[in-house]
Amino acid sequence: MIDRQAQLLGMEAQKAQSISGTLKRFGAHFRPYWLPLLIVAAAIIFSTWMQVRIPYLIGQAIDCYLTPYASRVALTGNTAGVTLPPAAAEFFSQMAGDTAAGSNCTYTTIDPTASYQETLTGFTQLMLVMVFLYVGSSVLTGITFYAMSWAGFRVLRDLRDDVFRHIHRLSLGYFSKHEAGDVMSRLTNDMDTIQQMIGFGVVQVVQGVLLIVWIVYVMFRDNVPFALISLVTLPLMVIFTKWFSDQARKAFRQARKEIGSVNADLQEGISGVREVQAFSREAENIEQFRANNAANRDANIKAQAYTSALAPTLEALSYVSLAIVACVGGIAILRGGSLMGSAVSLGLIFSFIQYTQRFNMPVQQIALLWTNIQSAIAGGERIFGLLDEVPELTDKPDAAAMPPIEGDVRFEGVWAEYNPGEPVLKGVDIHARPGETIAIVGPTGAGKTTIINLLPRFWDVTDGRILIDGRDIRDVTRDSLRQQIGIVLQDAFLFSDTVLNNIRYAKPDATDEEVIAAAKLARAHDFIERLGEGYQTVLGERGGGLSQGQRQLIAIARVALSDPRILILDEATSSVDTRTEREIQKAFAVLLHGRTSFVIAHRLSTIRNAHQVLVVNHGEIIERGTHRELLAARGFYYDLYMSQFRRQLDAGESDEELAEEVDAFFAPAD
Amino acid sequence: MQAAGNPPRAGRRGRGGPNGARPKMSNQALRRAIRYVWQYPKVTWAAVGALLIATLAQLAVPQLVQEVIDTITSSVLNEMILGLPANIQTFAAGQLGLDLATAQNELNGAERAIIMAGLIIVVFAIARGFFSFAQTYLSQVLSQNIAFDLRQDLYAKIQRLSFSYHDRNRTGQLMIRATDDIEKLRLFLGQGLLLALQSIILLVGTLIILFLTNFRLTLVVLPLLPIALVSFMVFGGLAQPLFGEAQRRLSRVNTILQENLAGLKVVQASVAEKREQAHFKKAIDSELEQRIKITRMFAILFPFIFLVANLGQAAVMYFGGRQIMNETLTLGEWQKFSLYLVYLFMPLGQLGFIISLMAQAAASADRIFEILDAKNDVENKPDAVELGEITGRIAFENVTFRYFEGSEPVLQDITFTAEPGQTIALLGGTGSGKTTIINLIPRFYDVSAGRITIDGHDLRDVTLESLRQRIGIVLQETNLFGGSIRDNIAFGRPDATEAEIIAAAQAAAAHDFIMEFPEGYDTPVGERGSTLSGGQKQRVAIARALLMDPHILILDDSTSSVDLSTEYQIQKALDKLMHGRTSFVIAQRISTVLNADQILVLDKGRIVARGVHEELMEDSPIYAEIYHSQLSEDVELA
Repeated sequence: MIDRQAQLLGMEAQKAQSISGTLKRFGAHFRPYWLPLLIVAAAIIFSTWMQVRIPYLIGQAIDCYLTPYASRVALTGNTAGVTLPPAAAEFFSQMAGDTAAGSNCTYTTIDPTASYQETLTGFTQLMLVMVFLYVGSSVLTGITFYAMSWAGFRVLRDLRDDVFRHIHRLSLGYFSKHEAGDVMSRLTNDMDTIQQMIGFGVVQVVQGVLLIVWIVYVMFRDNVPFALISLVTLPLMVIFTKWFSDQARKAFRQARKEIGSVNADLQEGISGVREVQAFSREAENIEQFRANNAANRDANIKAQAYTSALAPTLEALSYVSLAIVACVGGIAILRGGSLMGSAVSLGLIFSFIQYTQRFNMPVQQIALLWTNIQSAIAGGERIFGLLDEVPELTDKPDAAAMPPIEGDVRFEGVWAEYNPGEPVLKGVDIHARPGETIAIVGPTGAGKTTIINLLPRFWDVTDGRILIDGRDIRDVTRDSLRQQIGIVLQDAFLFSDTVLNNIRYAKPDATDEEVIAAAKLARAHDFIERLGEGYQTVLGERGGGLSQGQRQLIAIARVALSDPRILILDEATSSVDTRTEREIQKAFAVLLHGRTSFVIAHRLSTIRNAHQVLVVNHGEIIERGTHRELLAARGFYYDLYMSQFRRQLDAGESDEELAEEVDAFFAPAD
Repeated sequence: MQAAGNPPRAGRRGRGGPNGARPKMSNQALRRAIRYVWQYPKVTWAAVGALLIATLAQLAVPQLVQEVIDTITSSVLNEMILGLPANIQTFAAGQLGLDLATAQNELNGAERAIIMAGLIIVVFAIARGFFSFAQTYLSQVLSQNIAFDLRQDLYAKIQRLSFSYHDRNRTGQLMIRATDDIEKLRLFLGQGLLLALQSIILLVGTLIILFLTNFRLTLVVLPLLPIALVSFMVFGGLAQPLFGEAQRRLSRVNTILQENLAGLKVVQASVAEKREQAHFKKAIDSELEQRIKITRMFAILFPFIFLVANLGQAAVMYFGGRQIMNETLTLGEWQKFSLYLVYLFMPLGQLGFIISLMAQAAASADRIFEILDAKNDVENKPDAVELGEITGRIAFENVTFRYFEGSEPVLQDITFTAEPGQTIALLGGTGSGKTTIINLIPRFYDVSAGRITIDGHDLRDVTLESLRQRIGIVLQETNLFGGSIRDNIAFGRPDATEAEIIAAAQAAAAHDFIMEFPEGYDTPVGERGSTLSGGQKQRVAIARALLMDPHILILDDSTSSVDLSTEYQIQKALDKLMHGRTSFVIAQRISTVLNADQILVLDKGRIVARGVHEELMEDSPIYAEIYHSQLSEDVELA
């Protein structure tokens, strides 16, 4: 109980910029589920009515049946059938008239001469109504909860679906401004906040507000002065709750920071334990941890102090209001049953006691949930913001499918920029004939990656155009274009799925045999066979469990399987062990054969075998030609070569050997 | 078992073999955990005291309310009698068994009595509020302190557990022990126990009062209690696995989302959007289905529990009402019953909640003590001595090593001597045992047979600290720690001066890039060294080892993921580092091998060849093969 409070208070509070706008958007998402919402609304109103009705009926039970009968019995010893002295009978009928006038009993009026049986029947009827109300309100609570969650979770599902589809439409421009990791953690956090509120949270707050308002109204309707006096504690409840929960939130913010450093300490101390022991740092580390651990403890104790104070304060206040209702009501009755000119009966006191005892829960809940609902709205705002990001790249309305590609690629005066006014490519011209390998070299940030991003239209040119087989690639559908382009990225991205499914990712209908053939071609077959369950081995998140080199081989197999007409390679800079490196080189050589290929090259062998080498710097192609021509020119490339590539000369085998192997591989097919 | 009075801190003794059924062990662990509570006797007793007062005050309130109401009703009666026509006044009073004078007196004092009773309620309310706050607050103090102790013990233990333990346990798992498991145990120890005590007092107290007030009416509500308790427990039992499943499905959803964000290019390039969307839709639908399933259960069970409580109220009202008509119950008692009824159902709910908490806490306690009790394979001998001045001669004498008793040996019968100042190059394929050799020197593991000596002392006879302080290590995967670059370089010698740190950084070719940062040596390295590149991290690690000025140096010199000019600088730094120290190098570069005083070629845990380069090239085919296939050419920059 305390923990739920702590949990709610401990959540990060955020404020939305436009609450009404965001609520409207939520509203639109709720529209398909109007029927459950209608049911929820009806159920909330009915169950609140019932909750207000019950105390009123208790009052009636006392005023209409119990008190009249009990006092008559007490005074006269009259159980059914004893005849009253005439004077007494006269008095009681008179009193009955008075009480009946003052009280309006719903089910039967008071008859002072009513027998035990008659009174009991009336009372029982009243009680049956009450039981009905109890059962009814329980059922309605269940229905409310179910219907609201039913609709809420569906809205959440729809939102997730929309976001996911939208992410696929977003292009590199968006992700050049937003880290994928940040987008992910924001999405999960926001969805989480919304999920916690969208179901019962909202219902509790709405119902709580409704209940408070309704009870206040009924109390005022029944007796204005009495209501005023009975409600003095309500504002106090609100003020205390607000103050305590504000303080608690502040303290929890601090505590969150502290737990962050405790976790960082733990993470570091555990994952770096080998270094810690190697440098004999155990004692210092443990002391340092003690400081953070203690700060965390103290921050938590402080935050919990405010949280712990909330419930007892409200409870004490509700007892105080009980005392006030009982005392003021009692004294009013003693003074002739009137309070500042309004009638007070015993039953009314009982009703009011019940009413005031019902404030406690909703006030607490509203206070706890209110800020979280705000956070959920803020989360929603961010999610709608993401959905509002206009995809920069869309197919033209009249885009045709790309016919089978021959492989003639032309860049004509291509300019590109991710941020307006900051061109990353400045008038690039390239002409690759079918089957040619184009090696792109240059320093980091020169624009190499942008060149290869433009081909499959991850990004579009801002000026100039790119033609494949004479067609502007913006005139064809992206899907048909990409289906004929194969890409091996530097950081070979694998999915947490089986090896088999990872290889057939771009060609889901490939048979197992085709997959294995591709793996053999990529020289990945051998190590895959050695994995625990061969091709059925499920890879850990992001290909965990495999070495960098093995991941690359699988990525190569993936592209080999899809047999693309145009190939894009981003060679990895990080070196893998020499044996795997050689495997990768051979696999690349096989893959490049006979396809138009663009390679961001880090390997000397790739460059030497390339038909054209493009040297890119500051978004421009500053030199072009073959490896030999460029070396002879003694320009930028020459310097680059001297500082970066020369040592690869003798590593592994010579290019001639490699070329022979590749030829041998293709020999039977030719 | 430890003596009861002994605080269970830092229990070093290993628990006996795997005898005893598991649930029994859990109880034992829980009982052991409960002893942590008694490390704070003052807070505990204060919390229990506050709990008692708060609960008693709570129990008193309905009683007080009854008194107010009874005063009112009897006053109403008195007033009625006095207001009756004179001819029936005495008759009525006679019926009530009082005379008119008493009635008049009572009526006159009624107002005072009511106000007094009201004031007493207020006093009790304040007492209740204050002590109930004290109870919760103190229980928080208690539980947070216990969590602090457990976490501190756990961290200290983990820091000192040897490599073999960490080989078997992943960081993530240990993290969860120190966070989630401790939190679960904290909730139970700090709050669960006290709440359970409170619930039981409240429950028993209420039942006693109710029975004393009206035996028959109490019998009416009694059957509802087991129904409520059972539904709470059923609820707790059902909810747990359902939530677990929902969590699993949600994490699937998040994995797909994560992969599609991180691998967006692959998805788009493979034109797999539609497929991924269908995949995702299936995942979110399945998560939705589970949520709805949970909702359905809540939607039935929650209202049902409320209904049971409410029907209790209705039953009291109905049967109580009949008793009022029969004059065996007063209106005040009637109201009191209805208030006490709340006190019956509330603790039942709490107990149900605590029972489910207890099962989790027991499992968590079990896992926590498993770590605290783990046997540390490498420890100082009781009579271990400080290692004095050394020259740096290391000798392996018939060393055999296996990770577990009975498992395949990783090293077999290794014998060699490294003379002071020599460089020993270790060569061999993956799994040949070269890493194991360098792990044995700083006693990250202890040998299974044979012995290793340093200047003639068996490593196991000297203290770990004095041994490791003389060894500098640069591992292949460099781990840096939070804090500044300076802190990281001074990692093994926090007392190093600024000049020493800078000198070490210069020698490691790290000074220049460090000075390029705006904050220089104060630059924070970020989580796990994220602000530094791979090559920079490696040079910081070299500076860190240099600053130790070790007699013995252990290097894994593979310089992966750096560009060539960086590699060249690292290479130069390493050469400087090795000069004049006994060095063990897992060699990747030809120059290291060429310069080594001894080359040990390992295969399947044995030394298959040894000597210097020229000798080995001639008579070891394995060496020649490794030389050609594994070693990379050194960087030569003009």
